[in-house]
Amino acid sequence: MQGTKEIKRRIKSVKSTKKITKAMELVAASKMKRAVASTLASRLYAEYSWEILQSIANNIEEINHPLFANPVRSPSRGGTADVSENQTSNGAGILLILITSNRGLCGAYNSQVIKKVLTLLKKERGATNIDFITIGKKGDVAMRRLGRKIIATFTELPTNISLSDVLPISKLAIQEYAAGNPSSAPPSPIATEGRGKATAGKYDKVLVAYTDFVSTMLQTANIKQVVPVSKTDLKELIYDLGRSPHLEVSPPSGGGGGKIDYLIEGDKNALLGSLAEKLLIEGDKNALLGSLAEKLVRMQIYQMLLESNASEQSARMVAMKNASDAAGEMIEDLTLVFNKARQAGITQEISEISAGMASVS
Amino acid sequence: MAKKLKLKIITPEKLVFEEEVNQVTFPSTEGELTVLPDHIPLIAGLASGDVVAVTNGEHIPMAVAGGFVEVHPVRSLSRGGTAGASEHQTSNGVKEEKYTTEVVIMADFAEHVSELSEAAIEKAKARAEELRKQMENKEVVDYEHFAAELERSLTRVKISDKWRTKKYRK
Repeated sequence: MQGTKEIKRRIKSVKSTKKITKAMELVAASKMKRAVASTLASRLYAEYSWEILQSIANNIEEINHPLFANPVRSPSRGGTADVSENQTSNGAGILLILITSNRGLCGAYNSQVIKKVLTLLKKERGATNIDFITIGKKGDVAMRRLGRKIIATFTELPTNISLSDVLPISKLAIQEYAAGNPSSAPPSPIATEGRGKATAGKYDKVLVAYTDFVSTMLQTANIKQVVPVSKTDLKELIYDLGRSPHLEVSPPSGGGGGKIDYLIEGDKNALLGSLAEKLLIEGDKNALLGSLAEKLVRMQIYQMLLESNASEQSARMVAMKNASDAAGEMIEDLTLVFNKARQAGITQEISEISAGMASVS
Repeated sequence: MAKKLKLKIITPEKLVFEEEVNQVTFPSTEGELTVLPDHIPLIAGLASGDVVAVTNGEHIPMAVAGGFVEVHPVRSLSRGGTAGASEHQTSNGVKEEKYTTEVVIMADFAEHVSELSEAAIEKAKARAEELRKQMENKEVVDYEHFAAELERSLTRVKISDKWRTKKYRK
């Protein structure tokens, strides 16, 4: 009978582990539902902010706000473009906001995004100075181990992120960015050069490394630029938002569907075009643009946090599901071993008894 | 039928309000503005205060803080001529396309006044006080957070005080 007791103990311990992983799975599943719902809810806001940006852009000859990457400006500086391009990639730094989780046990969620960052670091090694703002303990620990400069760490974000939680992050990002860019640099070649010099040693870009929630089974690590706001990036983000499969699976109860039908690109643009000259902008255009830029940055970071949160929860759910399944299999195997051992014990005892009987008679 | 405009109040968290109303008054960064149907397209910054929508003589107040207002016409989707559609009849009787004026208010935060119950207001007041004290010895990062919270709390208190004695639609 020796060994059966030990196996029994192992079965018991695996069983209790399974209970824990099962519970974690359920918790993650319910949290994920909420997280996905809130990613959906912010979609409408994203669409409208894009629309406002569009209509302002149609009304202003040129966006020359430092927070906007200006696609109109780059061809105008033609000859100097290469030079300034080199300048930005050489001298100036990048501020990277790394979004990870506070807790582990969520599969490859953290390692995926950190790996993505490491590739970027390798690529930019020596050329660019990359500093960090970390969100979540895991990323913070990883970057500290690498000896990177971390200018701020946010580890105490609640599970239900609200916009006001994002405010300090986006404000900090914009501040750090603005510190290197003297505000409202006029778009002349001389000023572009001046700006290039001024940004040396500071940050000329703010990137965010986050995890894109594609579906429950698939999350992809991503790095995107948030400052300066580039219209193409933004459009992509909003487009992705509308197209993601998880959005189609569960249409929003209040905010989506038919209500945004009129946003259909072609005819809306035609409409906007015909109305463009009539648009009245109240107050100072540049101030408005500035605050719009800030809101866009904040909206994007908020969106990315939500995506990351949804990804974390679903990654954890899947990881815990796998763990529970593995525990179940292990219990089955162990039970089989246990039963065999028990059988063997009984057989042995019987044979001993019958051998004893035979020797007596 | 009286013309109406479509009002949407959106925060990043959710769609707070969507209804057809007769007029809407909101605090822009330049001062208070009232928008009636067929207003020309407009973009303005939103200050904190109250957005008051008027529908059938009833007031619907909402407390808001920070954001944008966009006024623009949208092509009406329904063919039957909704209450909000403004019909342009040309001389030869051919109907032009119908547009509804849509007012989109994008706020950082928005709440209906009736949601601001007495208890919540007391809490908001206490919180505002507490935040004010805390703010003195906070760094920049926290400061931003607290400043936003404080503005929210103060807006709540101010707006609910204002509407306490007035009548409005829940």
